[in-house]
Amino acid sequence: MTPAGRRLPPRLGQGWLVAPPAAYLFALLIFPIVLIGLYSVFLRTNLTGVVAVFSFQDWGRFFPASWGELPWRTSSPFWNTFVRSMGVTVVIALATTALAYPLAYFLAFGTRRRRSLLLLVVLAPFFTSFLLRVLAWQVMLRANGVFNSALWELHLRPHGEPVSWLINTWFSVGLVLAYAWVPFVALPIFVSMERIDRRLLEAAHDLGAGRLTAFRKVTFPLSLPGVVAGFVFVLIPTTGEFVTPQLVGGPGTYMFGQAIQDLFVGTASDWNYGAVLAVWLTVVVGLLMALSGRALTMDPRR
Amino acid sequence: MERLDRRDFLRGMAGLGGAALLTGCGAESGLKAAGASTGATGRPVHYPGQVGAEPDHLVIAEWPGYEAGGTKAQTYGLTAGRAYTRRFGASGLTYADYGNDDKNLNKMRAGERFDLLHPCVDYVQDYVDAGLVEPFETDLLPSFDRLYPQFADRGSLNGRQYWIPWDWGFGSVMYRKDKVAEADARGWELMWNERYAGKISMWDGGSTPVMVAGLLTDPPAQDIFHQTSDELERSRQLLIQQKPLNKFYWTSEYGDMQPAFKSGDIWITYAWPADYKAMGDALGYDKVAYMTPSQGKLAWVCGFMMGKGTQSPLHAHAYVESFISLAASANLVNLFAYGSSNASVTPAMVKDGRLARELDIGNPEAFGPPVHVERHIPNRAEYQEVWAEVKAS
Amino acid sequence: MSSATEPLGRAGRASLGGYYALLVVFLYAPLVVIVAFSFDDSTIAALPFSGFTTRWYRAALHDPTLLDAVRLSALIAATNAVAATALGVLASLGLSARRVLLRPAVTALLVLPLVVPAVVVGVGLLILLDEVGSGPSAGALAAGHVVITVPYTVLIILPRLRTLEASLTEAARDLGANQVVAFWAITRPLMTPAIVSSLIVGFTLSFDEYAIASFLIPPGERTFPIFIYEGSKVPQQRPELLAVASLVIALSLLLVVAAEVGRGRYERRQVAAGAG
Repeated sequence: MTPAGRRLPPRLGQGWLVAPPAAYLFALLIFPIVLIGLYSVFLRTNLTGVVAVFSFQDWGRFFPASWGELPWRTSSPFWNTFVRSMGVTVVIALATTALAYPLAYFLAFGTRRRRSLLLLVVLAPFFTSFLLRVLAWQVMLRANGVFNSALWELHLRPHGEPVSWLINTWFSVGLVLAYAWVPFVALPIFVSMERIDRRLLEAAHDLGAGRLTAFRKVTFPLSLPGVVAGFVFVLIPTTGEFVTPQLVGGPGTYMFGQAIQDLFVGTASDWNYGAVLAVWLTVVVGLLMALSGRALTMDPRR
Repeated sequence: MERLDRRDFLRGMAGLGGAALLTGCGAESGLKAAGASTGATGRPVHYPGQVGAEPDHLVIAEWPGYEAGGTKAQTYGLTAGRAYTRRFGASGLTYADYGNDDKNLNKMRAGERFDLLHPCVDYVQDYVDAGLVEPFETDLLPSFDRLYPQFADRGSLNGRQYWIPWDWGFGSVMYRKDKVAEADARGWELMWNERYAGKISMWDGGSTPVMVAGLLTDPPAQDIFHQTSDELERSRQLLIQQKPLNKFYWTSEYGDMQPAFKSGDIWITYAWPADYKAMGDALGYDKVAYMTPSQGKLAWVCGFMMGKGTQSPLHAHAYVESFISLAASANLVNLFAYGSSNASVTPAMVKDGRLARELDIGNPEAFGPPVHVERHIPNRAEYQEVWAEVKAS
Repeated sequence: MSSATEPLGRAGRASLGGYYALLVVFLYAPLVVIVAFSFDDSTIAALPFSGFTTRWYRAALHDPTLLDAVRLSALIAATNAVAATALGVLASLGLSARRVLLRPAVTALLVLPLVVPAVVVGVGLLILLDEVGSGPSAGALAAGHVVITVPYTVLIILPRLRTLEASLTEAARDLGANQVVAFWAITRPLMTPAIVSSLIVGFTLSFDEYAIASFLIPPGERTFPIFIYEGSKVPQQRPELLAVASLVIALSLLLVVAAEVGRGRYERRQVAAGAG
C-alpha cells in the first residue's frame, strides 16, 4: 500500500473510534426519524386498540386534493400552513442576511485594531438566554408594554390606545427572529470576507476599478459562500420554530413547527398525521441543504 | 406508554355504546344522565395500607391558579388544600400545567403520568376508556356524601367512582360594556362581529370553540356535543371565518386573557365566572358584563381523577378531601365565583350576594336548558381535528 | 497599501460605523429594558417607573421552584457537556485516522443534527420513548441534548486536532513513543483549550435549550428555560423573571468577557513560548 521508501507519518486516531458516537447518533437520531417515517405511513400508531396497517391515508390528507387559486389557499389546511410558514421563513432569512451583510462588511473592512472587540460586542447578546430575549420583546411590544406606554407618556397617542400591529402579528414574529439571528448570520459572512486576499482588491484597483466595481466583481462574489451559510443558519431553525410564534405571535402567525407540536403534544393529538408533517419538514430541509451546496460541509476541501 | 389489549379495547367500545345511549336521554335531563352508566361490573375498590408508608410526593396536573393553599404557587387566600399542606407539608406537591382537557388527555395518552389530575366531566369517560386512571375509595373521603348526587354520579362508571367533582361554572362571552353596543351583545354571534375585529379573543380550547360554533351554524347543530360530519364542516367554516377577528387565541386565563382584557387590548372574550369576577373587581362592574347569550351559556363541572399506577393513593385521597370539604368549598365560591359540588354550601355563605344571584351560584338547578351542560363527546377526535385545522387554515 | 485601494472610503466607513452603532442599540435595547424594569416597583413593565426596589431579586433568589429549575438544568447541562465532549473527542480521533470505514457517511451523520429541525428531534425522541415503554425523564432529555451537541463538539475539537498532527508526528517519531503515550503526553495537553471550549459550549447549549425539553420534560419538573416559558404566562411572576433575566445577562456577559480575556492571554503565552 505504502510506496516503498516513503513512510507516511503515523496518525493519531484509529478509525474505529468513530463507532461509539456514530452508533449513538444512529440510535437517537436516525432510528427515531425512521420511527417517525413508520408512523407517517401508519405502520405504527399510538392509538389504543387500533391495528397498524400500512396506509398513505395521512399523506393524502396533507397533499391538497384541490389547489384553489393560490398555493396557500388549498383544501388542505396544514399544507397551507406549510406554504405560508415556509414563505415567511424565507423572507425572514433573507431580511436577516441583508441586515447582517453591512455589519460583516464593516467588521471585515472598516475596523482594524479593535476588530475582535467590536465583533464580541455584537455576539455577546447571543450568549444570553434565547427565551429571555424573546420575553424582553414581549415586555416591550405588548399592549401595555414599554413601547406603548412610552407613546402614551409622550402624548404621541391617546392613553389606553395601543398600536395594534406591534404584537401578535408577523411583524413581531419576524422582528424577534431577525433580532435573534443577525449576529449569528454576520459571523460566517465576516469570516468569508476576511479570507479574501487583499491583493485581489489591489489588483482590481490597479486595473482601474472603482470601489463599487471592486465590490461587485471581487468582494461580493467571494463573500457569497458566507452569505449562503448564514442564510441557511437562519433558515433551518426557523422552519421548525414554534416558541417565538407562541410567545409573540397570534392566530394569523401559526407556523409549521407549531402545527407539529400541536399534533404531538397539543390540543389535537394525532401522532400519525403529525409524523407526516415532521417527515415532510425533514425532507424539505434536506432538499434545501442539498441546494445550498457545500457551504456547510464539515470537511474543507484540501 | 401502556397499550391496551384487544379486550380492553372492546370493553372501551362497549363504554362508548353506553355513552351514546346516554346522549339520547341526557339532552333532556340535564345533569342526571351519567349515573345511568353505573353497570354492575366493577367491585368497589379498597386501598389498604398506611398513609405514612407511602411516598409523600404527589404530581398533580392542575389548572394554574388552583394549586393547594399553603404552597408557593398560592399567595392569595385559597383554602382548598390547606388541610393537606398542614398535615403533610407543601414540599411534596409538584404541579404541572393542566393546559386544557384535550391537551392533558393527549399528554397522558402519550405516556405522561400524574398522581392527580383536574379534568372536567365531559372527559371522564375518555380517561377511563383509555385506562389512564384509578377509581377512588369513597369511604376515604369524609365529605363525599355531602356532594350533590347529580354531580357525583357523573364520575361513577362501571360501579366505580373515578371522578370527584369540585367546581362548576359557565362558559360564556365576557365583554366591555363601555365599548360594545348593547344591541350587539345578545348572543355568541358577538364573537363573530366584524365591527370588533382585533378586539376579540377565542379560547384555544380544543373542542370548546367547536361546540360554540355549533350553536351558531345555519341551521344550528342538533346536538353541539355530538355534531355530525356535515355539522362539523359548517362549524369549521364558521370558525375559519371568525379567525381573523381574534387578537390572539388565549391559552391561559391568568397569563394572556385577563391581562389583555384589563389593558383594553381585547374587549370580547370567551370566559368563565372567575374571569368575570377578577375583571369586574379590577375594572368595575359597570364596565364589564358576563353575557347570558340568546343561544344559552355553556356549563361545566370539573373535579379530580387519580392517575393510573399512583404510588400514593392515600395521599391523593387526603388531597381531594382537602378540596371538597365544606370550608374549602365555601371559599371556592367566594374566591372564584364558581359553584361548588358540596351541597352544604348555603347561599348564606356566599359573601357577594349580587354576584351569586347573577351567576346562579349555589343553585345547581341552574344547569337546566337553555344552558348547555358539557358532556362526553363520542367523536372527540373529530372535534380536535376541526380545531387543529382552523388554527392551521 | 494606499488608501484608495481600501475597500471602504471615509464616508463609507462612517456610514457603516453608524449602522453598526444602530445595530448595537437594537441588540442591547431589550437587555437594557429587562435590567431597568427588574428594579421597577410595579408588576407591570410599563412607563412611567413606579419606584426603585430590589425586592424582585430577593423574591427570585428565594423561589424554590426557580432554584430547583436551575439545579435541574445545571445537572442536565453538565451531563450533556461531559458526554457530548467525550463523544466529540472519540469522533475527532476517529475521523483523523487515515482509514475510516464509510468516511463520507459517518461525517454526514456527525453533523446531521445541525440540519434536522429541533422539533423533529424532539418528536422522534418522544416516539422512541413511547416505543421502549418509558415516559419522559430528565435522563432522556440529557440524552436528547447530547444528540444536538455532538456536531458542535466535533467542529470544535477536530480542527484543533488537525493543526496538531504535523508537529505531533515529528515529536512521536523522534521520541519513538507509542500512540497512547504520545496522546497522553503531547496531544492531550495541547487539546485542553479545545476540550474546555467544547465543555463550555455543551453546557451553554443545554442550559438554554427549550424546544426538545418541552417534549421530554417529565410532568411537574422544569428546566430553567421551561421555568421562564411558564413564568412568561403568569403576569404576577414577570417582575421576578426580569430579575432572574438580569442576573443571567450579567453573568453571561461577564463569562463572555472573561473567556475572551482568557483566550487572549493563552494565545499570547503560546506565541511567547513559540518565540522562546
